[in-house]
Amino acid sequence: MTENPTAPQLEVRSLRKSYDDGRIEALRGVDLSIEAADYIAISGASGSGKSTLLQLLGGLDVPTSGQVLFKGQPLDQIGLDDYRARQLGFIFQAFHLIPTLRAIENVQVPMLATGVDAATRSQRAEALLVEMGLQHRLNQFPNELSAGERQRVAIARALANNPSILLADEPTGNLDSVNSAHVMDLLRGIQKDRGMTLVIVTHENDIAHAAPRHIRIRDGRIES
Amino acid sequence: MRLYSSSGTDIAVVEKNFLNSSLDESLIVKLRAVPVVEQAAPMIFNLMDLTPEVNAIAFGWLDDTYEFNSLTFESGGRFHNNKPEVILGALLAKNLDKKVGDALTIQGSTFTVVGIFHGGTALEAGAVILPLDQMQLLTSMQGKVSGFHVRLRPAPAGEAADHYLKRAQAEIEAALPGLNAQLASDRASNNQFVDLAHAVAWGTSAIALAMGILGIANTMAMSVFERTREIGILRAIGWKAGRVMLLIEVEAAVLGVAGGVLGIGVGWGALQLLSYVPKTNVLVHTSLTPSHLLQAMVISLLSGLVAGAYPAWRGSHLSPVEALRHD
Repeated sequence: MTENPTAPQLEVRSLRKSYDDGRIEALRGVDLSIEAADYIAISGASGSGKSTLLQLLGGLDVPTSGQVLFKGQPLDQIGLDDYRARQLGFIFQAFHLIPTLRAIENVQVPMLATGVDAATRSQRAEALLVEMGLQHRLNQFPNELSAGERQRVAIARALANNPSILLADEPTGNLDSVNSAHVMDLLRGIQKDRGMTLVIVTHENDIAHAAPRHIRIRDGRIES
Repeated sequence: MRLYSSSGTDIAVVEKNFLNSSLDESLIVKLRAVPVVEQAAPMIFNLMDLTPEVNAIAFGWLDDTYEFNSLTFESGGRFHNNKPEVILGALLAKNLDKKVGDALTIQGSTFTVVGIFHGGTALEAGAVILPLDQMQLLTSMQGKVSGFHVRLRPAPAGEAADHYLKRAQAEIEAALPGLNAQLASDRASNNQFVDLAHAVAWGTSAIALAMGILGIANTMAMSVFERTREIGILRAIGWKAGRVMLLIEVEAAVLGVAGGVLGIGVGWGALQLLSYVPKTNVLVHTSLTPSHLLQAMVISLLSGLVAGAYPAWRGSHLSPVEALRHD
């Protein structure tokens, strides 16, 4: 299989995901097409299936039925590890930094998966943290950073392998309003400057409405 | 093995059961008549408690045996047949705090120490040697011996050493039906005493090894459990299962090697300690050879890898989503 240049960057076809032997249906047949450099917000109530959709888009989980395609190729044929390592950057609500590593080391971790040499890893990680305004926090451990700083380290880590897609699951969910605004400014800037695809899952209306494309999910189906 | 080879003994003639071997002393006449035999020495071998704290390997020899040639006297000299005299290995003399001229009581009989010698091995250095007749009295083996040590005549020109030794064995066994003529080298390596010591050592080591592997496996399983979310993060950002597995295996290997280094240190300390205990110092060598150290490190490394295998497999096969949800 090879990439199809005319295919959408990400495409979801009849996607279903159920848990507990089918008793819980998180997604009930979702179709979605995302073009390169799109900026999309996905919103919905708690348990609506928005985070499940993001996990399936990111290859963190496999669908019960249906397909996720990257540039026309089904993810299971690309290889989920390579897809996650080279094409995706993940940003989580709970930051998910490794507590025993310093900020600059956390940013280098994804590059170990793609075989980047040590000198380049270090240079690139430092440059990304400087870009996030953390030049004075390079050697701090996560527990020595504020919540906003931790999320900025997580954004730098997501950009480490220069991915084409950023997936953010409630990126401001653990932040106060000032830090939320700062993080959203950063994400919008990154998406615009680098021409990256940005998919944000959020339950905050102002963030959802600020996106050029807003998708609402309800009971496992796209509502609008 | 050097117990035999250093004394110039080529063949030991014994009954099948080495520890309980009991032969008629008079068989020496038939043995000396075998053409290949240059010298034959009757001997008794036993283990004796010399004091409540000190036990020793005891030999009964004739005062003219060729086996004296392997000993170097530090002081004094040989004993004499039919006299209550003994010679002591230097280590044993030190443990007993005896010097030439001192009296030594063995099983109620008093002997005079007439010589202190250096032997080629720890066993020899910790041995007591008595006149054969005195040993027979002590062990109630009058007219009996444990076996005979034989030094062969030089092999005839043109006959290979191996062939000559086999021929000598056959000739001796033919002259003394029912007895075993064993090569000294085989005797030393195959005797029940050595086999038993090896079995105990290996058994203890195997138990220690199993405990070590279980300990590392438990530590790694706990580590994987406690870091489930970290593993989920690594998988989420693209680390392959194999890389996660390698990470955990490397940690287990480091743990194994660190345990090995610590074990070598503790083991060396224990050997030093045992070398000061009179009951054990004749049995231990305090030197550690490079090959022993290498073996210990390789075993430690392999133990770590084996112990880490299941935790590594389990950790690497965690679902990223489930792992990220882990508290």
